[in-house]
Amino acid sequence: MKKIILSLLLLLPLSVAAHTNDEVKDTDNNLLKAALKGWHVRLGAGFNLGGTSPLPLPAEIRKIESYQPGLCFTVQGAAHKQFGEKKKWGLMLGLRFESKGMKTDATVKNYHMEAVNDDGSGTVRGAWTGKVKTEVNNNYLTIPVLATYNFNERWMVKAGPYFSYMVNGTFKGSAYDGYIRDQEPTGTKTEVQSASYDFSDDLRRFQWGVQAGGEFKAYKHLSVSLDLTWGLNGIFPSDFQSVTFALYPIYGTLGFHYLF
Amino acid sequence: MKKSSFFLLAAFASLPCLVSCIQDEPLNAECDILDVEQSWVDAHPGLLIGNPRVENTRVAFTIQPGSDRTALNPRFELTPGATITMKENGVDIPANGVTRDFSSPQTYTVHSQDGFWKKDYEVSFSPRKSITKLSFENFRLDATGRYYEWYEVDADELGTELYYWATGNAGYAITGMGNAPDDYPSNPDAHGVSNENGTGSKCIRLETRATGSFGERLKMPLAAGNIFIGEFASSQAAMYPRRATKFGLQLVTEVPVKLEGYYKYKAGETFIDINKVEHPELHDMADIYAVVYEAYPEGSDKFVPLNGDDVLSSDRIVLLARIDEPGEPEEWTFFSEPFKPVGNKTISEEMLRENKYAIAIVCTSSRDGAYFNGAIGSVLYVDELKVVWKGDE
Repeated sequence: MKKIILSLLLLLPLSVAAHTNDEVKDTDNNLLKAALKGWHVRLGAGFNLGGTSPLPLPAEIRKIESYQPGLCFTVQGAAHKQFGEKKKWGLMLGLRFESKGMKTDATVKNYHMEAVNDDGSGTVRGAWTGKVKTEVNNNYLTIPVLATYNFNERWMVKAGPYFSYMVNGTFKGSAYDGYIRDQEPTGTKTEVQSASYDFSDDLRRFQWGVQAGGEFKAYKHLSVSLDLTWGLNGIFPSDFQSVTFALYPIYGTLGFHYLF
Repeated sequence: MKKSSFFLLAAFASLPCLVSCIQDEPLNAECDILDVEQSWVDAHPGLLIGNPRVENTRVAFTIQPGSDRTALNPRFELTPGATITMKENGVDIPANGVTRDFSSPQTYTVHSQDGFWKKDYEVSFSPRKSITKLSFENFRLDATGRYYEWYEVDADELGTELYYWATGNAGYAITGMGNAPDDYPSNPDAHGVSNENGTGSKCIRLETRATGSFGERLKMPLAAGNIFIGEFASSQAAMYPRRATKFGLQLVTEVPVKLEGYYKYKAGETFIDINKVEHPELHDMADIYAVVYEAYPEGSDKFVPLNGDDVLSSDRIVLLARIDEPGEPEEWTFFSEPFKPVGNKTISEEMLRENKYAIAIVCTSSRDGAYFNGAIGSVLYVDELKVVWKGDE
């Protein structure tokens, strides 16, 4: 995976460098444009900021003690085609590599949890009251399929679904400073100083959602965009018992795009 | 242009909402008797021996022999918002502070604040019974039906059940490793000493068990099988496991002379430490001992039991009977160990009369199991324990 990021990152400065040599470049671009029959290619990079959160927050979550966004980059390439004479509407297809991550520290009350022992030999089941630290860092290969609408030369909005394949992911943390009641709220109470958990292997591979945003074309070859991606299936399978409410990745992306 | 700006603003304004929209706090789902009201205890001087033992579904009071228990009105502290009821003619009526006849244990029901949960408690007032012969014949599954617990029976008091024994089984329950009662560290066994063919007397079988990944993450890779006179405070089991084993009850009315009984033992193959590191040079060892100690720490008038940290090292210890080198007998082996003075303390007649001594009998399949050193698979069988008191000889 790292190779893909690296090669995409390498492409960026190259294309920016090419910018200085305008004449040669425009010729190249024209050729390219012709070859793509109206499809405009772009490369971009940006960063994601957001959370992987249940919606709405269940009543068991009493307090968010802290929230720390992860350092989440995204690199992407896309092809954009505008239709009609006025070129108002268009279609944008892309491929991006992105990471979505965060750290939270929350207080929960009577939160039902189940965890299977590593070797599958038994199940810890109960109601947890106390603090929960969570660290999420998931890397995705994502294909957005977006409809675009241009207000004018500079402003464009876009919206549509996206489909993600999780390349790798981390979902881990610890339950600390609290107590677990064995099986149910009526079960034996056991205070716990700290117990770590790691549900990385249980994350869902295929995730999808919707994306919407706006883009401002600042220069001929450079645009800035702001997008919101909203996951519509939870990051865990729905029958996953350790985290009983669905967690949806909801992230905003600030992006910069080089338009060929 | 304006439209798009508004759209973006609206989209991003919703983000902070994700972390700020905390719902109203749900009502409490727990329904515990947290404790016995101290004011009620204070209002009945001379009635109780030791502290009431409040467990998850039971409250056991030990009372002075000869006390009247036909009309007592205990008051309990409950989970905030919870209520406590009793059945009268089939109807639930408020029960806190209601006078009841405790000639036999009485049932209370605690209801949670949110109304979804309730839990029955059995509350007993039992005259203190001196322990002599302990045969592990009386056991049953706990209230959740998952593991065994043991009790003694007072034949002089219509078979009153005496909850003097405790094990770590409740702590093991939380690891999720006990899929059947026999998976737990402390179990009954049908092949007692007096009847090897399994038709008659039972014994106890203690086995050092693995605690799974949950236990390992809590730095408790094993759970030694144990049984002891005292109380197991499961609330402490994960955080301060040695404090969870509260060894000893105030059951000393005479000077103890000997601890006797039968045992057999087989150590597990591989000795591991708290970090699950194997120690081929070490070999597991059983432990059977009885310790008599001063119930009240100096300057205190409240019973403070010894626990896993100080049960063999406290300066309150007066007498100790222990099998120093139990070995690994394959067949039932009789032992008789004298109570030896520890330090320069002696039993005082005056303190005996004032109930100021406690006794703990402890059996475990791994001698250093409290520190999570031992061999998974070590098995200790114990039967027919007997405390010989002065005058019984």
